[in-house]
Amino acid sequence: MPPLLEIRGLCTEFRQKAGVLKAVRGVDLTVEPGETLALVGESGCGKSITAASVMRLVPPPGRIVSGSVLFKGEDLLALSEEQMREVRGNRIAMVFQDPMTSLNPVFTIGYQVAEGLRIHRGLESGAAEREAIAILAQVGIPAPKERIRDYPHQLSGGMRQRVMIAMALACGPELVIADEPTTALDVTIQAQILELLDRLKSETRMGLILITHNLGIVAERAHRTAIMYAGEIVESAPTDELFGNPLHPYTRGLLASLPEFGTPGEKLATFAGSVPLLTGAFAGCPFRERCPIGDERCSEQQVEMKEAGPGHLVRCLKAP
Amino acid sequence: MTALLQAEGVVKQFTVRGGLFAEKRLLTAVAGVDLELFPGETLGLAGESGCGKSTVARLLTGLIPATRGSIRYAGRELSAMDRGERAQYRKDVQMIFQDPFSSLNPRMRVSEIIGEPLAIHGIGNAAQKRERVASLLQRVGLTPDQLSRFPHEFSGGQRQRIGIARALAVSPKLIIADEPVSALDLSIQAQIINLLQEVKQDLGLSFLFITHDLSVLRHLSDRIAIMYLGRIVESGRRDDVLSRPLHPYTEALLSAIPSIDPAKKKTRQIIARGELPSPLSPPSGCPFHPRCPYAEEICGELRPELLEKEPGHRAACHFSETIYRPK
Repeated sequence: MPPLLEIRGLCTEFRQKAGVLKAVRGVDLTVEPGETLALVGESGCGKSITAASVMRLVPPPGRIVSGSVLFKGEDLLALSEEQMREVRGNRIAMVFQDPMTSLNPVFTIGYQVAEGLRIHRGLESGAAEREAIAILAQVGIPAPKERIRDYPHQLSGGMRQRVMIAMALACGPELVIADEPTTALDVTIQAQILELLDRLKSETRMGLILITHNLGIVAERAHRTAIMYAGEIVESAPTDELFGNPLHPYTRGLLASLPEFGTPGEKLATFAGSVPLLTGAFAGCPFRERCPIGDERCSEQQVEMKEAGPGHLVRCLKAP
Repeated sequence: MTALLQAEGVVKQFTVRGGLFAEKRLLTAVAGVDLELFPGETLGLAGESGCGKSTVARLLTGLIPATRGSIRYAGRELSAMDRGERAQYRKDVQMIFQDPFSSLNPRMRVSEIIGEPLAIHGIGNAAQKRERVASLLQRVGLTPDQLSRFPHEFSGGQRQRIGIARALAVSPKLIIADEPVSALDLSIQAQIINLLQEVKQDLGLSFLFITHDLSVLRHLSDRIAIMYLGRIVESGRRDDVLSRPLHPYTEALLSAIPSIDPAKKKTRQIIARGELPSPLSPPSGCPFHPRCPYAEEICGELRPELLEKEPGHRAACHFSETIYRPK
């Protein structure tokens, strides 16, 4: 059986006056049913554009230039726009970071949750509403019968995020992509939302791509983790293996810079420099400039992914 | 030792309107806060959004007046200061803001931004100012050739460095930093934390550090105060509060933080149910009781005072002693 989602050699570019910005540069990822894959990286590393590419929702002037996105063996990039609409929100759904700007302020939450059911399942509005109430109850919204008449501004941030999750789950998707689903929330509410996603996932065997920069969330929730840097996956492994035995200098640096591992009052480890510009041609490893162990070889050749252990891939010439 | 800054029973209320014709209502953002900050110390103030921690920062910097209560700087009551004292206070207490994008004027050059506090307080002539600004820029890890640039030409981390240089310009004694690293990427966050730590040590500053991130708090603070719905619910030395909390809300916050450490994973549990109540209609009794797993009848009736439960360790909970009995 093919995996639930298999991304192969995905490249997404933005053509701008200043040049071509290569936001995603040959990403390979696999998600199995019931699996949580964490996609981790700093802002601008291409993790959100990777997600948008899977949904074929890359904002212009961006476009997918090569690669394939196989969903249960079928290449989403080869579908017509009409066929793709059947997939979006139905078989693959997305949860966005900011529920205030992602919900439509002029429609009730009941209407918005039921929308997918009307479109994809062809339910008439009464049945769709009953279904929406059931889903809102499932995601932990108290008194959903009354709340479906509410508009987004009447809800708190945590409740809005639950509505976003309810919308995503309405049609029973096989894959959910959650892009920073809890970044805008407080920690006690964040914990509730992550519990909710985990519970729903174990009930439905759906796959989950969790995009985040919070390594604590990753360590607790993800089966596998992929670290992204400058448009490439630089390391991927089962989560415990990645945190226990990080091999890429970028992964190591990220972990070392966490205050959780620092001694209070002492200096935290930092990287020099900043993320390279992704416009123009690239020679060698994009982390070379900031890398503590790199040498000339790293600037000369394209670095390929290599298998360092069972399921542990790393894109580094110097890694063991 | 006398406190550099001391707040006692500080209350701040705002009048809010629900809509054009809705009745005015009183929102109590800060409902009686006691804080002490000693010279050379870093006090970390933590809590979730809407708990009133940013309002506390604005009260302590004198940006807004308190509705009730007393704020004393070096023994002098803020509201009773004359012009000269007030000017000195505004020079001594500087602020660093959360968002490095909206807290720098986009039309001003870096040299003007950092030089403005010097101009306002009438420090130095033009040549001295230029020299001071250049040395501040270097102090925070930027280069003098960046002086004539505008904020948009810098990354988030660099802008936060500019904000720090601006706060340091008039040689303050106390810096109030409101979420200074939470808008930054991980690798940048560590750089700014190190920079704050460095300037604190080099210049012997006191710090009030406001954050919702307890791992940052642990790294930087000497003492910690935890805020919930306008009140301090627990305060004490860093290790006391973080390793032996005496308030269920602190325990809930600590258990909700996702941890990378596998040892911590096993013991954690989520205990805060529901959501933060609205400060427009706070619960009766203990503000945390609707979400508290240990709440009993009295918690809904009587608000617990912030009391010293152990030396230097205060908590506002009726049942600290029974819940957190030493093992």
